[in-house]
Amino acid sequence: MTTEKQYRVIGTRPVRPDGVDKVTGRAVYGADVTLPRMIHGKILRSPHAHARIRGIDTREAERYPGVLAVVTAEDLPDVDVVLAVGEGGDVNMRDASHNIMASGKVLYQGHAVAAVAAVSPHVALEALKRIKVDYEPLPPVLDVRKAMAADAPLLHEDLFTDTMGQRSEHPSNIASHLIAEEGDIEQGFREASVVVEREFVTHTVHQGYIEPHAAVAEWRDDGQLTIWCSTQGAFSVREQVAQILKHPISQVKVVPTEIGGGFGGKISVYLEPVAALLSRKAGRPVKMVMDRAEVLAATGPTPGTYMKVKVGADAQGNITAAHAYLAFEAGAYPGSPIGAGCTTVFAPYRLKNVRIDGFDVLVNKPKSNAYRAPGATQAEFAAEVVMDEICEKLGMDPLEFRRKNGAKEGDWRPFGPPYTRIGAIECVEAAQASEHWKTPLVKEAGSSRRRGRGVASGYWMNWGGTSSCTGRLNPDGTVALLEGSTDIGGTRASIAMQFAEAFGIAYERVRPQVVDTDTVGYNDVTGGSRVTFGTGYAAYALAKQMQREIAAKLAAIWEVDPESVTVEGDRYSAGDKSVNLVEAANLISEQGQQVVTSVTTTPHNRSGAFATHIVDVEVDVETGKVEILRYTAVQDVGKAIHPSYVEGQMQGGVAQGIGWALNEEYIYDENGSLRNASLLDYRMPTALDIPMIETILVEVFNPDHPYGVRGVGEVPIVPPPAAISNAIYDAVGVRMTTLPISPARLCAEIMAKNSARA
Amino acid sequence: MAISLMSGKVTVSATVNGEPTEWLCEPRETLLEVLRDRLGLTGTKEGCSNGNCGACSVLLDGRLVNSCLVLAVETEGAEITTVEGIRGEKGLTPVQRSFLEEAALQCGFCTPGFIVAATALLQANPSPTEEQIRWWLAGNLCRCTGYDKIVRAVQKAAAEMRGEA
Amino acid sequence: MKSFEFVNPASLRSAISTLASAGEKAKLLAGGIDLLGEMKDYIQQPDIVVNLKTVPGLNRLTADRRGLRIGPLVTLTEIAEHPVIRANYTALAEAAESVGTPQIRNVGTIGGNLCQRPRCWYYRDEAVVCLKKGGSVCYAVEGENQFNAVLGGGPSWIVHPSDCAPALIALNASVEITGPQRRRVVPLEKFFTLPTQNVLQETILESGEIVTQIIVPAPAAGTRSHYMKVRHKESFDWALSGAAVMLQLRNRRVAACRVVLSGVAPIPWRSPEAEAVLRGKAVTPQVAMQAGQAAMAKARPLGKNAYKVPLTRNVVKLAVLKTAGV
Repeated sequence: MTTEKQYRVIGTRPVRPDGVDKVTGRAVYGADVTLPRMIHGKILRSPHAHARIRGIDTREAERYPGVLAVVTAEDLPDVDVVLAVGEGGDVNMRDASHNIMASGKVLYQGHAVAAVAAVSPHVALEALKRIKVDYEPLPPVLDVRKAMAADAPLLHEDLFTDTMGQRSEHPSNIASHLIAEEGDIEQGFREASVVVEREFVTHTVHQGYIEPHAAVAEWRDDGQLTIWCSTQGAFSVREQVAQILKHPISQVKVVPTEIGGGFGGKISVYLEPVAALLSRKAGRPVKMVMDRAEVLAATGPTPGTYMKVKVGADAQGNITAAHAYLAFEAGAYPGSPIGAGCTTVFAPYRLKNVRIDGFDVLVNKPKSNAYRAPGATQAEFAAEVVMDEICEKLGMDPLEFRRKNGAKEGDWRPFGPPYTRIGAIECVEAAQASEHWKTPLVKEAGSSRRRGRGVASGYWMNWGGTSSCTGRLNPDGTVALLEGSTDIGGTRASIAMQFAEAFGIAYERVRPQVVDTDTVGYNDVTGGSRVTFGTGYAAYALAKQMQREIAAKLAAIWEVDPESVTVEGDRYSAGDKSVNLVEAANLISEQGQQVVTSVTTTPHNRSGAFATHIVDVEVDVETGKVEILRYTAVQDVGKAIHPSYVEGQMQGGVAQGIGWALNEEYIYDENGSLRNASLLDYRMPTALDIPMIETILVEVFNPDHPYGVRGVGEVPIVPPPAAISNAIYDAVGVRMTTLPISPARLCAEIMAKNSARA
Repeated sequence: MAISLMSGKVTVSATVNGEPTEWLCEPRETLLEVLRDRLGLTGTKEGCSNGNCGACSVLLDGRLVNSCLVLAVETEGAEITTVEGIRGEKGLTPVQRSFLEEAALQCGFCTPGFIVAATALLQANPSPTEEQIRWWLAGNLCRCTGYDKIVRAVQKAAAEMRGEA
Repeated sequence: MKSFEFVNPASLRSAISTLASAGEKAKLLAGGIDLLGEMKDYIQQPDIVVNLKTVPGLNRLTADRRGLRIGPLVTLTEIAEHPVIRANYTALAEAAESVGTPQIRNVGTIGGNLCQRPRCWYYRDEAVVCLKKGGSVCYAVEGENQFNAVLGGGPSWIVHPSDCAPALIALNASVEITGPQRRRVVPLEKFFTLPTQNVLQETILESGEIVTQIIVPAPAAGTRSHYMKVRHKESFDWALSGAAVMLQLRNRRVAACRVVLSGVAPIPWRSPEAEAVLRGKAVTPQVAMQAGQAAMAKARPLGKNAYKVPLTRNVVKLAVLKTAGV
């Protein structure tokens, strides 16, 4: 069922309100902020992946001409508080504090050990070279399976494995072991006529936002701390900084600038507390901007993994059992998205017998962080490749298999309530009906080129979260809409559209602004695909509340019962009196009154977003190069408020998924040094690497939202790696179970297959 | 070019966005640093600082270049155009307007670089094919859009500039 | 970057004498694509940077019956777009066009492309004092050598990153080198040095010497050339493997040929083995395949770059077939 209501604003494609600033270079991002007397901070980072810090001598740096402050972990208080940080879930701020400035031990190459503020970035970098750190190197642990071994060197002597509430006897690099079970998988595998079990390895991958992290901090003499930063969540930054620095939250104000991409990686703080400390010591505002090498080495990439998936199906093609073993590299501190990996791995399917084991494992790599549907891409890569093999063995069409076994409302899922209204099967059916699927693919394309087609499904949860917004009715009937959700992808527009729809006015008469933590109520982060849903929900609630307030004020002016005032579009009427919004605004201000309204909402969003993708690839068997010929992304979007931005989210997620599938990986040497900490050797797709991406928007109304909105931003990154692996199998008969599928790896597999045949 | 022996700084004169401009800088400062930190033109962005992302793209004597790999002192006497200098008669150029209408930006950080690159492209080739557009824009990374709407925006702007729209 | 003095020489003489007298303390700036990147990473830390672009006359490109005369400051874009080079020296145009991105090609020069330093990530890491930087170990040998050499390697295992050099060698180019005492013309093949000769450099340039011209003789009748490059990404990226092939065909047979590889050796790697297979023959897929096999017969892969062997075999085959028009 698709949404049938006709909307005035929703579903149209207006220009975003911040657009002119962004195409003219006027928009202000973190690194563009300049304050009087501002100085510049830089961070000294560990060359070792694992070492004890025996001592840090900063005296020469402190004396270096042009240096105004130097800080180390000694300048940070001890903290021990657990906070929910965005989609990362609970994070102990002690770990967050040690992550941004190492204390006692360095746990990954690039781990911050000291910071300097000086009159210019060049001087700051020179001063860093004058800091002497005495390290005692320790053996690093760089592979998730090795880290899980009983004799592995430990990152934390005081970390024990939590297995569903039970603590292990001995310390370990395994922070937690999650288990989800339903039915009896042994019985289920016995009932199966085909069983497939495969192992998978994926490498660490970075969100790859083009804008490096940037922050400016000003610590004033009266203790007021203001931070300007590129962040996905100003309120989260405020809370993290207040906790890490043990500074009252009432004295911390965070001003979110425009943000050049986040994808989950700009929720945890890295620079902000350090800049604040430097500012306090120097008595000047401090700007800190990361360079690309720091971004890659020392922020929060998504985990590399080792996974095993086993699935059984009967001769009719029903899944009878499924088992997933997922081990995720959390990096230097606990908190990989293993929970989400477990929740999503088999999400597109209705399962009777299933067991999922998930492991959060520490290794000497940067602490992992959220990356667009965190954990799902890895887990569903493994599951969707195995499903493809099941279909092959059954001789069953892969889309038909997904339709037959597709999850429906009421089906079980791990770690959460059953599904509500979802569009898994609708997506599969739309894929089956697509022009792409119906267009036959010619396999042979020259002597050395083979073409193939693959499909994969994906799922990501939606999150409601808390959003606040404030509306102010201007005398001319326009509305200033203050919200706190940083606009990464056009959400000012989609929020304003929902407000305009609910309030009965034109989109152009809404002036949305993203404001700081002093100016609007609490907002959860821009992430988790929640803003169009959650902040839109708040905007809808705000519109309704403002209508009620206008009605009440008019009732007082007209001396009628408030219940008798009706609202139709932008018209307010009672009896024979009727005014439009502009007239109402004037009447109210003539009384010396204003309509300024704030709401905070925390709606339930029990829904999720499903996607099914189809890809055609061409493999050059002599070079291992894979070309994407055609890509179609089908996704259940609930209701597309602004279809262009929904399409944009889908296309962007697909592009990242293609990079993940074919090119992107962190390459660590045996010492734990990241060898490819540059965009030269960390290879992200260019305009020549990706074709046009077709999008098919399926709209299955989400009952938790007045306009049926589902979060759309994350799920599109999930299917591409599996779809591409499946397409490569269709083309050349080799199943790629390691990501990325680089030319070298694919070439080696093709050659191995050919010599096995020979 | 005058050299100040005391501080090691150098005076450089160039034309920036059509205006004669003079600044003082160290030889080690790149054109990108000078544009952003000395001239206040923060529209040009730093993404990687070694020529691997194109966010710092400007026009130097009409050529599309990465300003992070040009020393400011090399630009004596040159004509530099940044995104701030790309303006139409009535505000936005067709390229800028098409980017907005086609939703060819999400976070907007790579957008100034693309606007400069696309503007240079259409000056050199008013009727580019899709392949030619991708070729010209292959030096600009975007992480948000997957390039689809960017290519469409350039096609639309080209058509408008040819009088076909 | 470290602070430095910026010098704008008014003449070639002045540039050469500044370089010669400052020795290791001075570096030459052409387009800056390589040097500035190295300086930002503290791989090069010169006290003096000599701006070659203020020396007049070094950016001229002439194409006539005798051949090409290319100044070192001619940009890669100019070379890629030059109609005569595209038509008659195709490998060079294709090589130039394959470098980097439009932004890089608009600034990067042919001289810089030939003289650029390696992209090995051990070499480019400030914290690693490898063999090429005066240390005692080539870390690629036991380390992450996915992108290191399979031919001619040892004691250093870098691959030469230039695309234009193999193409120019395939076209029988020479370089004119001007130094404090003399001017010499050297076949481009002899311009590059193996690590066994001098591990600290990749070229024969001595202190104060500058490449002042690249000379390419006009091709004989029936000559065709192509440059084929396989890389991860279709832009920005270095060759995983590349081959420049020049074939002079007479009566459909190969009268003369050159096969030069990129991405596999510390220098642009001319392959007499592949050439021997091709000479005198009509090019067929079989012959092309044999040429590829011959080219890689002596390859010695390291732990992680064995894929370069079959890949390069195939690249040679494909480049030969394309050049022969098969």
